[in-house]
Amino acid sequence: MGSLIAYYPGRSFIHRLDPRVKIVIMLIVSTLIFTVQRIYIAGMVLVVVLALWLIARLPMPVLGGLVRALLPIIAFLFIVQAIFYPGNTPLIKPLIPIGAGIGEITLEGVLFAVLLALRLIAMIILLPLVSYTTTVQKLSLGLVRLGMPYKLAFTTTTALNMVPILQAETGVIVDAQRLRAMQSFEKGKLGEKLRAYPALVTPLVIGSMRRAQLMAVAMDSRAFGASKSRTYLEDIQMQPGDWLFLVSSIIFAVGISLASARLPILL
Amino acid sequence: MTDALIQFNDVSYHYPRGKRWVVTHLNLAIQRGEFVALMGENGAGKSTVCQMINGIIPNSIGGRLLGQALVNGMDTTQVSIAQLATKVGIVLEDPETQLFTTSVLGEVAFGPENLNLPVKEIHERVKWALEVVRLSGYEDRLPTALSGGQKQRLAIAANITMRPDILVLDEATSQLDPVGVEEVLSVVRELNQKYGMTILMATDASEMIARLMDRVVILDQGKLIADGTPRQIFANAKLFNQVMIRAPQVSQLANWLTSSGHPLPQSPITVEEAKEGILSILDGEPVLPVAQSATPLLAPPNGKPIIHVDRLEYIYPLLNVHAVRGVSFDIHRGEFVALIGQNGSGKTTVLKNLLGLLRPTRGEVMVAGMDTRTAAVGEMARHVGFVLQNPDQQLFAETVEEEVAYGPKNLKLDKAMIESRVAMALNLVGLESKRKEFPPALPKGDRAKVVIASALALDPEIIILDEPTTGQDYRGCHQIMQIAQSLHEQGRTIVFVTHYMALVAEYAQRVIVMKAGTVLLDDQTGDVFARPDIVRQADIIPPQITELGQALPPRIGLPCSPLAVGVMAEAILDRLARQRLN
Repeated sequence: MGSLIAYYPGRSFIHRLDPRVKIVIMLIVSTLIFTVQRIYIAGMVLVVVLALWLIARLPMPVLGGLVRALLPIIAFLFIVQAIFYPGNTPLIKPLIPIGAGIGEITLEGVLFAVLLALRLIAMIILLPLVSYTTTVQKLSLGLVRLGMPYKLAFTTTTALNMVPILQAETGVIVDAQRLRAMQSFEKGKLGEKLRAYPALVTPLVIGSMRRAQLMAVAMDSRAFGASKSRTYLEDIQMQPGDWLFLVSSIIFAVGISLASARLPILL
Repeated sequence: MTDALIQFNDVSYHYPRGKRWVVTHLNLAIQRGEFVALMGENGAGKSTVCQMINGIIPNSIGGRLLGQALVNGMDTTQVSIAQLATKVGIVLEDPETQLFTTSVLGEVAFGPENLNLPVKEIHERVKWALEVVRLSGYEDRLPTALSGGQKQRLAIAANITMRPDILVLDEATSQLDPVGVEEVLSVVRELNQKYGMTILMATDASEMIARLMDRVVILDQGKLIADGTPRQIFANAKLFNQVMIRAPQVSQLANWLTSSGHPLPQSPITVEEAKEGILSILDGEPVLPVAQSATPLLAPPNGKPIIHVDRLEYIYPLLNVHAVRGVSFDIHRGEFVALIGQNGSGKTTVLKNLLGLLRPTRGEVMVAGMDTRTAAVGEMARHVGFVLQNPDQQLFAETVEEEVAYGPKNLKLDKAMIESRVAMALNLVGLESKRKEFPPALPKGDRAKVVIASALALDPEIIILDEPTTGQDYRGCHQIMQIAQSLHEQGRTIVFVTHYMALVAEYAQRVIVMKAGTVLLDDQTGDVFARPDIVRQADIIPPQITELGQALPPRIGLPCSPLAVGVMAEAILDRLARQRLN
């Protein structure tokens, strides 16, 4: 699976957007995703997010990897919703009647599962639109301009930056365990896999602590936090294009949530 | 001597929660413009000294510092770290820990931005720094996508934009391949010569020290035990009995000859000087080349190979990198093979294909009778012990014995069997006395040994070691290789990767040289290093003693491609003995 956090250099429209605009729109769209109740609107939001991926010229195999990683969760959603969601339009009757609609697969249950799946996918591929197209310098500057203190903004973005490193490290540690005849990750049942995970924690934590200590040395030697104010080499300025994109996104989001309340629930 | 740029007056230091004083009564003065090497075994206090110079110790780390550490006349405990940051830059061993932005430009500008300098000035400094480290034009690149040597040059650039007087490099080249080392050194040298920057470099690359540096300071258990020019230090044979640090091989040779009563007129520190010295003590009489005891031919391989790699190709799917392009070789039971080449030449990719950690894109890999395309890694681990590069990512347990028992437990062996495997493995690496210790808290060398023991506990026929010596000191390197050798003597097959050619020459029977995903040369060790022209195509520099043999005229009858210092020394002594008889 690809990482949610990484930077893919580029010069697309999305890359050049003001980081503040990206952060704000991400917050608005995620709220939208969590509030829509209509499948076709969730689908539309997903299409828009996908379109933005294309505009940003982000690598599509990475997108595929992210979605693939979600498949088990989506399958789980379908099973749970199919079994437990109450509905009036039964598709398949349970073999043994349990009562209260449990075990009955209904159209409503399936549609609700579809809605959840669309939301989940939209959500997961939304975050990379910001993190993949924004350097950590700009992201932290964006957070600073939105009112966050610099040290906190730096820590936040650096922590995000650590995620891919930790992911890679987890991969190496899992390999190391497999090399010691640990078969749970390959052949094991779910329970065995889960039991294998705690052993990952010790090396990950110790590795992170070592890295953090050394990083502090490197940061100190580059005068991190030396003066109250700080220069930003790549300054950010809201351009007409930024305003336009921000305003039209807000209109889009508000329009959709208003429309969503008035439109019929199903298709 | 009070006008020294760095002045340590009777400095001792104790880490918070440390067990002992890691630096004791250190007196050291470094003048402006000096280029100084700091040598010593792991744990001698080198990193501590480095971090005392930029005030991280004690200002940020805490602990007890006695005495006085002065930098540019300022007491480091009396000024802020930020103030010292403009005087002292520091480059660390691991590139990943010192790069925290997502562009080269952002990385280099980070320091001056923190100093709140005007934009114009930052741009000037960035431009200058990138020119010095030869990364102009890389401004928009991702630091993580650079090579090891480029990353370390970037870390240097990020420090020199602060315009420091002093640049400290703490083992900054020890994780690099020879090309990366050379890149970093040429930059550091230019900073010293052209810009007058004072350089302190903790390193054990003694051949380079001899070539470039003015002065060597040797620490042992927190004490300064020697301080002098490279020539004085490396000619001091007594010193090398006291601490295990690496002298250039030509110096080792000279010291060997001296202790046998035949000193060279001047103690050499380069191949050229050694050549002159040797020629001056031998008479000019040409001798018929002695029938040299050629490297004993390996027993002709019998039976089926234990590792069979046939036209292996590997492409990393996400990155679409064609890392291995048609590699074939067979390894037979009981061989001791080194796989060498620059980073990115495909060594690790080949090794991972041997174990099924990666599956061949094309071609076939058979190991111990199993096809790696279908066998499970956990299953193959019974036959192949694979030790990955960084020991710290391979230690999961609370105690050394649990760590070593982890593999046998996965094999579901019975209790008595597990215990006997653990005892066997710990005995082989010499860690019986540390059974109950917490593995991550052990010294670096011991952590590597625990990982090796953990692989041995599965009782594999084949042992694969991927850069087992990277980051280890001289003692650690040889201890690890001696473990490998004793395993080999038990009849196991050993394959290892290293950038340290003296180890390859000394321990391997056979060498496979890789370049750009292909095998450039595959032969007995002596024959590989006897062909410097081909080896150099893979950017590999043969051991210094081999180079010396090749530099000497053939007519004097010394080994022309010796693999170890001892071989050359014995040959010279033998030649001298015959000379006296005539």
